[in-house]
Amino acid sequence: MSGLDEFEDELETCFGTSCGLCERGCPVYQTLYTRTLSMKGRNRTMLGLLKGKFDITPSVIEAAFECTLCGNCDRWCALKNTDHTMALREHLLKHGVEPMKEHSSLLASLKNYGNPWFQPRSARSKWMRGLDIPRASPGKQEVLFFAGCTSAVMKPLVPSLVASAKLLKRAGVDFAVMAQDEPCCGSTLLRVGQTDEFEKLEKDNFDKFKALGIKKIVTSCPGCYTTLRRSAERLGEDIEVVHITQEVADLIRSGDLKVQRSSEKMTYHDPCHLGRLGGIFDEPRDIMKAVSEFVEMGNNCYESRCCGAGAGLQSAFPKLSRELATRRIEEAKGTGATTLVTCCPFCETQLRTVPGINVTDLMELLLEASSNGG
Amino acid sequence: MSFISELKSTIGDEKVLTDPAELYVYGADWSPRTSDEIMPPEVVVQPKTTRDVQRTVKVAHKHEVPVTAGGGLTGMLGGAVAMYGGIYIDSTTMNSIIEIDPKNQTVRVQAGATLQKVNDEVNLYGLWLPHQPESKWVATVGAAIACDNDSTFGVRYGKILNCLLSAQVVTGTGEVLELGHRKAHFTSSGYKLKDLLAGSEGTLGVITEATLKLEPIPEARTVDMLVFHRMGSAVDYLSRLLKAGLCIEAAHINCKRRLKFYTHAYSRKHGRDAEIPQWAEALLAIAFAGDERFVDIQRSYALKIAEEEFEAEAVQEREIVDSWWASKYTLDFEPFKQKWPDSQRTKKFGAADPGVPVGRLEEFYHKFVEVAEKHGLEIIGMNAYLEHPNSIGFSLSCAVFVDYRNAEEIGRFREFHDELSKLAIAFEGTMSTFMSDTHQKAPYMEAEHGPSLAYMREIKRLFDPKGILNPGKKFIREGR
Repeated sequence: MSGLDEFEDELETCFGTSCGLCERGCPVYQTLYTRTLSMKGRNRTMLGLLKGKFDITPSVIEAAFECTLCGNCDRWCALKNTDHTMALREHLLKHGVEPMKEHSSLLASLKNYGNPWFQPRSARSKWMRGLDIPRASPGKQEVLFFAGCTSAVMKPLVPSLVASAKLLKRAGVDFAVMAQDEPCCGSTLLRVGQTDEFEKLEKDNFDKFKALGIKKIVTSCPGCYTTLRRSAERLGEDIEVVHITQEVADLIRSGDLKVQRSSEKMTYHDPCHLGRLGGIFDEPRDIMKAVSEFVEMGNNCYESRCCGAGAGLQSAFPKLSRELATRRIEEAKGTGATTLVTCCPFCETQLRTVPGINVTDLMELLLEASSNGG
Repeated sequence: MSFISELKSTIGDEKVLTDPAELYVYGADWSPRTSDEIMPPEVVVQPKTTRDVQRTVKVAHKHEVPVTAGGGLTGMLGGAVAMYGGIYIDSTTMNSIIEIDPKNQTVRVQAGATLQKVNDEVNLYGLWLPHQPESKWVATVGAAIACDNDSTFGVRYGKILNCLLSAQVVTGTGEVLELGHRKAHFTSSGYKLKDLLAGSEGTLGVITEATLKLEPIPEARTVDMLVFHRMGSAVDYLSRLLKAGLCIEAAHINCKRRLKFYTHAYSRKHGRDAEIPQWAEALLAIAFAGDERFVDIQRSYALKIAEEEFEAEAVQEREIVDSWWASKYTLDFEPFKQKWPDSQRTKKFGAADPGVPVGRLEEFYHKFVEVAEKHGLEIIGMNAYLEHPNSIGFSLSCAVFVDYRNAEEIGRFREFHDELSKLAIAFEGTMSTFMSDTHQKAPYMEAEHGPSLAYMREIKRLFDPKGILNPGKKFIREGR
């Protein structure tokens, strides 16, 4: 991780440029019109803080945490804006700012239960009951299916994990799971500024993966996907990390999975971690086109707008978070689609809080569409 | 009661920002300056309505506190920087589209709506607002009027004033006035007070709403680049096209150096700069728009005249043209590689914006190079944008790179800017064509305007008797 002062030159560059092109796609700025919450304003706030122009004030704390880290500002920039914001969070926590109480609660749960949702470790393996999936043991498998905390312990999300596992089997992937021994990827720690804790966790995690002889991790959670992939890169580990859509899209392309195409008009929401931050746009769309009458929202792929769930916004700023979800749902409805499809447990949960359109998971949809599915 | 307390009680706490971190972000615009020159206001107001603005100005009037209104803060010369502190009105919170009237091709907006937002909304009706500066995603309608900034399509549609039918302003006493002629395109009645707002920099009133004329979106557009032996030939060529009866949508004459700056995306992609023939001194980017068939006819005729009468050549490498057009209009940059910060990591774009008679462009270009070199500044180049409908009148952007971490170099840039401004007057031209006067040109207003400057002061006094509106801009602040 990089300290805030390591970015000072980039902050000067943003100040020197001051183009503000980041403002147009920022879901938070476009909702609140608070300058310090646009990336240009946040960068300038960080610069002022580093230059000692003011102390840490309530606005500085809001600038740090009232952001979903969705990366839309990065799309319109050549600077590492999301990294700046994460560094600001870390900087504040290291300079005496208490974690937000909602974030403290997530962290306490992580420490005690290994997931941010106050669920016992045993809850983590409930989703796989009856699926006959082997548990990972040293040297017995190369591919690990990483369920992720949120999908594994939240009942409404279990069907998406089940669908993912079934489709992986269809794809002929020989995989295992860690069940209740599966750790948290650390995404939550990273996004709320607990960098030291995260670095310890990521090292422990990869030690465990290596001890099991894992060569490849497949996950259905975009947050886990970007976090694990970047951890592997940062730690120099030779473990490939892929998203489930990458594994199963070939089933469609090759024709190995027969699917019945629905005449229902559906649209697709790119999860920030999978799309803009993960670079995966085509595979979900290949699946969408195979199973539905697919229509794009105006803001799609790199320009996709965040659902508002990410980076602790949902827990600490629920009203704003819901406004972001409402805007995204309105955009989806504007396409004329009756179903909004996504493939992220956070996006799915978040978007379901706004009525008006059916929200479903891409893997569930694909499994259902497969003529020999079930 | 302090003016800040009074503001809070008058318009509501939630619309008044006093946290030093929040104030700090309003302390600079796009102009070259070091971060030590950030000048935060004492308080920021985020109004929702004209009534909020009116109440704010009345408090300012009572307490004789400066009021500076701003939009996206992309001004290039500090026009919306509150250099004497006081109240900054952040108009971006007033961004509603009030009425779209497709039949009459007009839109009524709050002044804080960005130019892009207006287009996002009116495009649904097959209409567009053709006032299109490169900053359109961030620049607001009110700021475009107050700054009188440039537009890519000026040669066909003019600038914002050509689109402005009516505007609502709050004067320096807090009076709300509607200036203009409702939805009529022009008037012969009364004095054209509305026109005073273009380039007024918020010194006469805070613009709160505007009615704008829209145009039908053309079916097709072609963009080409032509290279000429001399800049003067490009001017003559454009004059010839207008004589021929062609309807040009955009025309920009660039010196050879300037191409490199506009084709940053090309350089990133290919690892080398875009190249044009050695012999060419000038490039002309030219666009036609309309029904596809007619556009093709116009384009072909224009290219034929270029080749046969001016020994000009069309740039064949399409990516050079596309890269230039992305920079100028579409802003369709490759993800994570947007031009602006990437091209400004060590030095930023700084410019003077004079206007000179059409026959003296080439002569002025050489002066620009001479003055930039004299001040030791790295030259980006010159762009002459045609900004007046169906005429060859242009804005000049005389641009250099400025190290924004170096106060001494910024000082040299300001000297360069001032020297070119004065030189433009000596050339029988004007010192500003798209950045307005701000504080930077205030010392030269007498040279530009002569005795009429006294009349301008009287007009200012009429609108703003206590001189609270954006003090220091256009006129050096007196008696302080």
